[in-house]
Amino acid sequence: MVTKEKQYVEYADALTAFSKGLGEPEWMTQLRLDSLDKIDELDLPVIERLRYNRWPLWQVPDLTGAPAQKAIDITEFIDDKADAARVVQAGNESVIETLPESLKEKGVIFTDIKTALKEYPDLVKEAYMQQAVKADKNKVTAFHAAFMNSGLFLYVPKNVVVEEPLEAIFIQNSLVEDSFIKHVLIYADVNSNFNYVEKFLTAGQEKNAANILVEVVAKQGAQVKFSAVDQLGEQTTTYFNRAGHTFRDASIDWALGVMNNGSTIADFDTNLVGDGSQSHLKAVAISSGKQTQVIDSNVVSYGSHTIGNIFQHGVILDRATLTFNGIGHIIKGAKGSDAQQESRVLMLSDKARGDANPILLIDEYEVTAGHAASVGRVDPEEMYYLMSRGIAKSEAERLVIRGFLGSVISAIPLKSIRDELVETIERKLTSR
Amino acid sequence: MAVLEIKNLHVSIEGKEILKGVNLTMKTGEIHAIMGPNGTGKSTLSAAIMGHPTYEVTEGEVLLDGENILEMEVDERARAGLFLAVQYPSEIAGITNAEFMRAAINSRRDDDNKMGVMEFIKKLDEKMDLLDMPEEMAERYLNEGFSGGEKKRNEILQLLMIEPTFAILDEIDSGLDIDALQVVSKGVNEMRGDNFGSLIITHYQRLLNYITPDVVHIMMDGHVVKTGGAELAQQLEAEGYKGLMEELGIEYNVEEHE
Repeated sequence: MVTKEKQYVEYADALTAFSKGLGEPEWMTQLRLDSLDKIDELDLPVIERLRYNRWPLWQVPDLTGAPAQKAIDITEFIDDKADAARVVQAGNESVIETLPESLKEKGVIFTDIKTALKEYPDLVKEAYMQQAVKADKNKVTAFHAAFMNSGLFLYVPKNVVVEEPLEAIFIQNSLVEDSFIKHVLIYADVNSNFNYVEKFLTAGQEKNAANILVEVVAKQGAQVKFSAVDQLGEQTTTYFNRAGHTFRDASIDWALGVMNNGSTIADFDTNLVGDGSQSHLKAVAISSGKQTQVIDSNVVSYGSHTIGNIFQHGVILDRATLTFNGIGHIIKGAKGSDAQQESRVLMLSDKARGDANPILLIDEYEVTAGHAASVGRVDPEEMYYLMSRGIAKSEAERLVIRGFLGSVISAIPLKSIRDELVETIERKLTSR
Repeated sequence: MAVLEIKNLHVSIEGKEILKGVNLTMKTGEIHAIMGPNGTGKSTLSAAIMGHPTYEVTEGEVLLDGENILEMEVDERARAGLFLAVQYPSEIAGITNAEFMRAAINSRRDDDNKMGVMEFIKKLDEKMDLLDMPEEMAERYLNEGFSGGEKKRNEILQLLMIEPTFAILDEIDSGLDIDALQVVSKGVNEMRGDNFGSLIITHYQRLLNYITPDVVHIMMDGHVVKTGGAELAQQLEAEGYKGLMEELGIEYNVEEHE
């Protein structure tokens, strides 16, 4: 890591030109510059049981605005679904954007962030790094706010219910050297209700940093079901922040498959601000090879009668590391709130390193809270039992792992995501 | 016809010898019962035949049609035709009963000859019906939250689905009420035939009222001490192990039954 004093300020002119080149509104340019100023003075977020100050996360992206030298062949990554509500981004550019007319008529916006900043600057401004995450929260968010180089905006207006899932696919372009600083902003207006699905992939083998920030702002009574399958590449070092903010009676349900191939910090924060709001977070993870993945799931109850649940299961293969931190925090005043969590890690090799670290911070009486955590190996009795029915060892192990992750996966509402997770798990297990 | 031969089998657990030279031969078409007081090595015998990792065979052979199965892995023994039903099977969350049984059946088949879903479901429905098992048990996680009786029925269901050559039933009758006992017996009797042999390990003669054995072995202190016909079980019921020991002139401290 470069520690030279005020080094980022040297990028101020280039950043201004970059922002102007994209035709961004004045407030956005200013937010970038203000954030740039603060990167150095802000601290890294504390991630329990992980020191990452030497991780290569701080590569400043290309600010010339020129197209990437090598383009991704997206047909390798996606299948053709002509009429789906879908955005596909290859590197920093949207290459497919489809939204059914019926949704456009209702005022749904589903487009890349550059377009949104031009066409709906005020709407973006209402939510962009305002509620779920503030730009000056820490060094990572400030770096992100300054150098964000592509993203997505999804807006679902008041009272609009969308039945079919809205799908986004992001393919990181590691055919070239460049940081991947992606911003996803999901703005669910009052009483809206929808499913959103996102996938993160990598094309190419260049060593790159990724700083991804996904914000979900759920206004009064909005119901957001958020699913994700993260499969960034082996050479990508990622700080992945997903942050939710709920207003009164809103809910955000997260179903997250953390299946990246490189070193990853997955920092999932949900702030239950409005009374009676809820968040249920379900995460499955696999670490393999020599990678480290740390999943830091944090649900904070500010409002009264809020419910925050964390349910995460992970498997470790080879020499990999996987840590689950589960943090349930009930702030003073959040009466009648409930914080529950379960984190379990299954290790499949002697060289694997696993940790499950439950933290409950309770500053209020009249609340309920509970946690369960475990780190263990495959039970030899279970293996013996399965094998005693003729099932070969490798297949028995696969069944046990699938079963272990399956208890989380089966709780995910979208079948397509469940299938995708199962497939990804199979692939990871068979490629051992 | 298949033959299972146990020859001079010695088995230890953590250095302590439990089986001290067991000899026993059975053929398909036969049902054998092994009876004996607690702690005489009946369950050790079944676990050693199946290949449980904590049981160490120190001497002897177990031959299935002349081939020594002690050199095989657990799953290979199963695919060679052995099956062991146990009293306390593992509970495994996340794997459904049906998924597990289909994997077990297909582990015996070539890639181009896997059992299809329809064929599987038809067979499963039929066998579950026979055992009075509600349909939903197929979709429940493997043994998870099953009662003792449900677990044993589920073991027998697997027996009927997998159709092994030789099945060892290790105290499958313990803790069962009379209705469950009848159902379990019905399952075993369903398998009875020229291509199936079974070794039934039990404390009590009760089960043998429903499944009439062809041969009864009495085990004590790591040996088979007496072999006879079905009438031997009745004699044992009448006289107890004590009477039998006196007859054989064996001195062995029988542990109290539960």
